[in-house]
Amino acid sequence: MALNIVVCVKQIIDPEIPASQFKLDKANKRQLREGHNLVISAYDQNALEVALQLKEKAGGKVTALCLGEAGATSALKSALGMGADEAALLSDPAFLACDQFGVAHALAAGIKKLGAVDLVLCGCVSGDWGDLMVGPLLAEELGIGCVTFASRIEATDGALLFRRVVETGVERIEAKPPVVATVISDETNTPRYPKLRDIMAAGKKPIPVWKAADVQVDAARVGAAARRVEVDDLYVPVRESTCELIDGETAEEKADRLALRLRELKLI
Amino acid sequence: MDFELTESQELFRKTARDIADREIAPRAATVDELAEFPRETVATLGELGFMGIMVPQEYGGAGADAVSYVVALEEISRACASTGVIMSVNNSLYCEPILRFGTEDQKRRFLVPVASGRSQGCFALSEPNAGTDAANQQTRARREGDTYALNGSKNFITNGLEADFAIMFAQLDPALGHRGITAFVVERGTPGYSVSKVEKKLGIRGSSCCQLLLEDVRVPAENRLGAEGEGLRLALRALDGGRIGIATQALGIAQAAYEAALAYAGQRVQFGQPIARFQAIQFMLADMATEIEAARLLTLRAAALKDRSASYSKEASMAKLYASETAMRVATKAIQVHGGYGYLKDFPVERFFRDAKITEIYEGTSEAQRMVIARALLHD
Repeated sequence: MALNIVVCVKQIIDPEIPASQFKLDKANKRQLREGHNLVISAYDQNALEVALQLKEKAGGKVTALCLGEAGATSALKSALGMGADEAALLSDPAFLACDQFGVAHALAAGIKKLGAVDLVLCGCVSGDWGDLMVGPLLAEELGIGCVTFASRIEATDGALLFRRVVETGVERIEAKPPVVATVISDETNTPRYPKLRDIMAAGKKPIPVWKAADVQVDAARVGAAARRVEVDDLYVPVRESTCELIDGETAEEKADRLALRLRELKLI
Repeated sequence: MDFELTESQELFRKTARDIADREIAPRAATVDELAEFPRETVATLGELGFMGIMVPQEYGGAGADAVSYVVALEEISRACASTGVIMSVNNSLYCEPILRFGTEDQKRRFLVPVASGRSQGCFALSEPNAGTDAANQQTRARREGDTYALNGSKNFITNGLEADFAIMFAQLDPALGHRGITAFVVERGTPGYSVSKVEKKLGIRGSSCCQLLLEDVRVPAENRLGAEGEGLRLALRALDGGRIGIATQALGIAQAAYEAALAYAGQRVQFGQPIARFQAIQFMLADMATEIEAARLLTLRAAALKDRSASYSKEASMAKLYASETAMRVATKAIQVHGGYGYLKDFPVERFFRDAKITEIYEGTSEAQRMVIARALLHD
């Protein structure tokens, strides 16, 4: 079964940067991205890997879709370099400050513009805000089913088989396309490194940039005015570290005192 | 003047850094300690296209430009200088001359396997009595019908142990001087061709450095690279590109040493405060960062000239000279910032220091670079 797969990718600040370099725009309650290395959110990369493996086995097409600023084309080039066939960017001032509902609405409009799809994949959680909402909301917008926390997906005749990771173990779910799935990492979906020749090819592929007017977006459902989720406060937690030396005459005495102190601090 | 990388070049950098951080850096100390060729990572890099970055895709390469090569190689060398030189030799010294001087058949047979990462190449120019005086080739080539018989020895050949193909230089007739030097591709396993010694080195211990022996090695005429007598021109042209590679390797080592010093200076507390608060340390860090930036710009400038098909020989020498001496100065200061700990194998700066030294020597010593630069200045 050849599959038409869309993978939603989000461009975020590289989570590996030192916490000291992480800066906030307190007034607008957002992270300052300027000067930082920007990457595709980690689980979105797993989702892309799952999509590419499915395409390699079942045939079909993988399209990477991103909602972001104009510079987010670099995330899409990266997706093309990994092996996505096509990419599109949704970028418009109207999409700025969307909450998760707005993002899902805009992404759904982009997916509808791409035509009939069999499978829409998202990371299970975003690497910046830690949201788990966009995938399920997207399914709601598209009016199709949703499987969350899928680590592996197989295509059979007319159906998709999902390996879903839950607290008590693993569920196997069969779903008929079209369906949305959110992807969690496991050892089978470690994102591949792009081949350099594919990066070169990606550089030559055009990436359409769609404004709000290019897709069927309800203007009342995107942007700051449509927010249903409000960020109350945004701050970098202050971490304090102090050093306490445990004295003792012998190693045994030091160990005893250390154990008592740790118990006192409720650490053991 | 625009120093921004293109989106593709930036993606090359990111990809190289990801691989370097995840796959190469964690093994670099072991590769050094055991003097072990990093076979797995070299295979991964080869598969992804890092061994033929500037080779067109039709010949198995990535089809990218020299600037892309520089940004990728800096990241790899920053993690492991041994892996950096393996990459530089395959790209600059092996693939480039075959691409420039090889026939279509030679490109198919000798370029595709190396550019696509399936095989390794090496460049056998140096001899016991032909180092900086590269024209003093003692290895002899004797034409016998459709073959050449090669006799002699080569030394200091990087990748010599692993190479499936060697670009070999030999003298056809000593009376012809440098006009008799001719290049050949010799395949591993050719009778009479052997590795006679693997050297033990101060640094870049993960890459092999070998003596090669040629005892009546029969090479078919179709393996001759370029025309008879064209060998020295081919070698010097390859070395121009190679100098961009070694400048970049030096840059990667310097960057790694600087980053280690910066991190250590922020953590090491003396007299109740991190040593980074002392001006003596700050001045060292400032000098390191400034020199690295200058070396990077020189190297990218040489690469950009190469990409424009402009003359870049002088600029490549300037980049190689400055970047290699920068690597040595920065690595020395990085140890100084670490104090006694920097002298221990527990910290990576002693490895950077050992790795840096060779960049002032191979592919033209600093003195040879000054000769090239001075000659260009006086003849311009």
